[in-house]
Amino acid sequence: MTLALLLGHATKVALLALLAGMVMRGKLRQCWSFVVYVVAILVSNVLQSVWPHQFITPSFWLVKQRTYDVLKMAIALELAWRVFAAFPGAWQKARVVLAAVLGLSTVAIFAVRPTASYSNFFDWQPKITTGAIWLLTATALVVVRYEIPIRDWQRAIMLGFAPYLLVFVTLMGLLKRHGWSFVSQFGTLDALAYLSLLLFWTYSGWRREHRLELPSGTGRGTAEELAPAPVEQPVEVVDAHA
Amino acid sequence: MPMLELTLCTLGCAALCYTLGRYNRAATIARWHFVLNLPARRALAALRGQMELDAALARQALDAADRALQTGRTKEAIDVLRAALGVLEEASADRLTRLRGMRVYSRMVRAIQPLPAPTGAVYRTRKLRVLGSLAGFGYRLLVGGAERFRLWLTMLGFGVKIVLHGARNSTAAAAQAPRARRPWRQFEDGLSDFATLDASHLTAFEALSASLAAIDSSRRVRVWDSIVNP
Repeated sequence: MTLALLLGHATKVALLALLAGMVMRGKLRQCWSFVVYVVAILVSNVLQSVWPHQFITPSFWLVKQRTYDVLKMAIALELAWRVFAAFPGAWQKARVVLAAVLGLSTVAIFAVRPTASYSNFFDWQPKITTGAIWLLTATALVVVRYEIPIRDWQRAIMLGFAPYLLVFVTLMGLLKRHGWSFVSQFGTLDALAYLSLLLFWTYSGWRREHRLELPSGTGRGTAEELAPAPVEQPVEVVDAHA
Repeated sequence: MPMLELTLCTLGCAALCYTLGRYNRAATIARWHFVLNLPARRALAALRGQMELDAALARQALDAADRALQTGRTKEAIDVLRAALGVLEEASADRLTRLRGMRVYSRMVRAIQPLPAPTGAVYRTRKLRVLGSLAGFGYRLLVGGAERFRLWLTMLGFGVKIVLHGARNSTAAAAQAPRARRPWRQFEDGLSDFATLDASHLTAFEALSASLAAIDSSRRVRVWDSIVNP
């Protein structure tokens, strides 16, 4: 068994453990795009392991990479939406920041799009990855600036993604510098980094999150027991837009 | 090597890891808990009582030091003056911590009850008069209520530090030349300014409490629910 195959199988096991953890701990609904992303990675991994000749090809690589890129952006945007939904003022600020990051990334990506292909992916892929990192960073900065509470799982998703994406961009830089002779090392190092990320996510996914009781001044019992009426309009009384 | 992308990725990754690495959910939840449950009147009364106690202790120590000096007990006078400085130091630490907290909470509400423009005329020491005048000028340049409120907080923070710095210098000068009247007068002026700053501190706290209390209870439940179980 080759190292690549071994890493591929280890990734499958880690992905299944991660999915199981999210299901068992009820974390699926905290970010649905992330669930789709994990499933997409798992499907792609299985396809490449079972039918390597059909699926380890430049055209499939491009399709899967574009899918992952779209899903990464979706994860960043969904996390931002979920985190700021109850805080219209902070959400307003976050929208401006996220729109700016998204706009700049789009311009950068479209500028290189005409020549984008598998043979020069190290030219355009880092631009997309940089955009994804900065979408997550913008969300994190607004969270801290406005003291917005986020769930441990949402924090873990962001904290895990950013270092891995940095490793990915660095490896692509090395691939560009050393040429295609570096591609097998690129694959191995990337798989190792991704496996580390999956182990971190799996650990975080299986960790229990304590449900918090409502404070005495705001009501009785837990939030579920209180079952507040649906919010007809966004809560505008408390927010961070001060 | 795509240096620009690599640099941007490194910066983004470092910023994210730094901010989220230090992020403390329990502390954030506790702050929101405070915001949504602030017993405004009780907190205000407690703060007022504490400020009065601090002022009385410092004033009493200064008076005792002055009496000791008048009766020729120089060493005792300086020791008691240092005790007065100790009271001021503890009170300053407390004020600065609260000002930092108020700055955080001021970002959690939409509107803050406006405060009057700062002025330098109410202070005795020159540095504080200049600080008050500058803050008053800045206040007129700012438009947003929250920005004006935070300018107040910044001014109060600087004011406390100026008073404390002055009191330390005065104590050191008095220890070197106990019979010279100037350090003693400067300490007294500083104490008076500290009381004036405390009055503004209390007003700012009251304004923030009123703004936080404006959140009605049914919406507090919804907000709290959104916070803990989004």
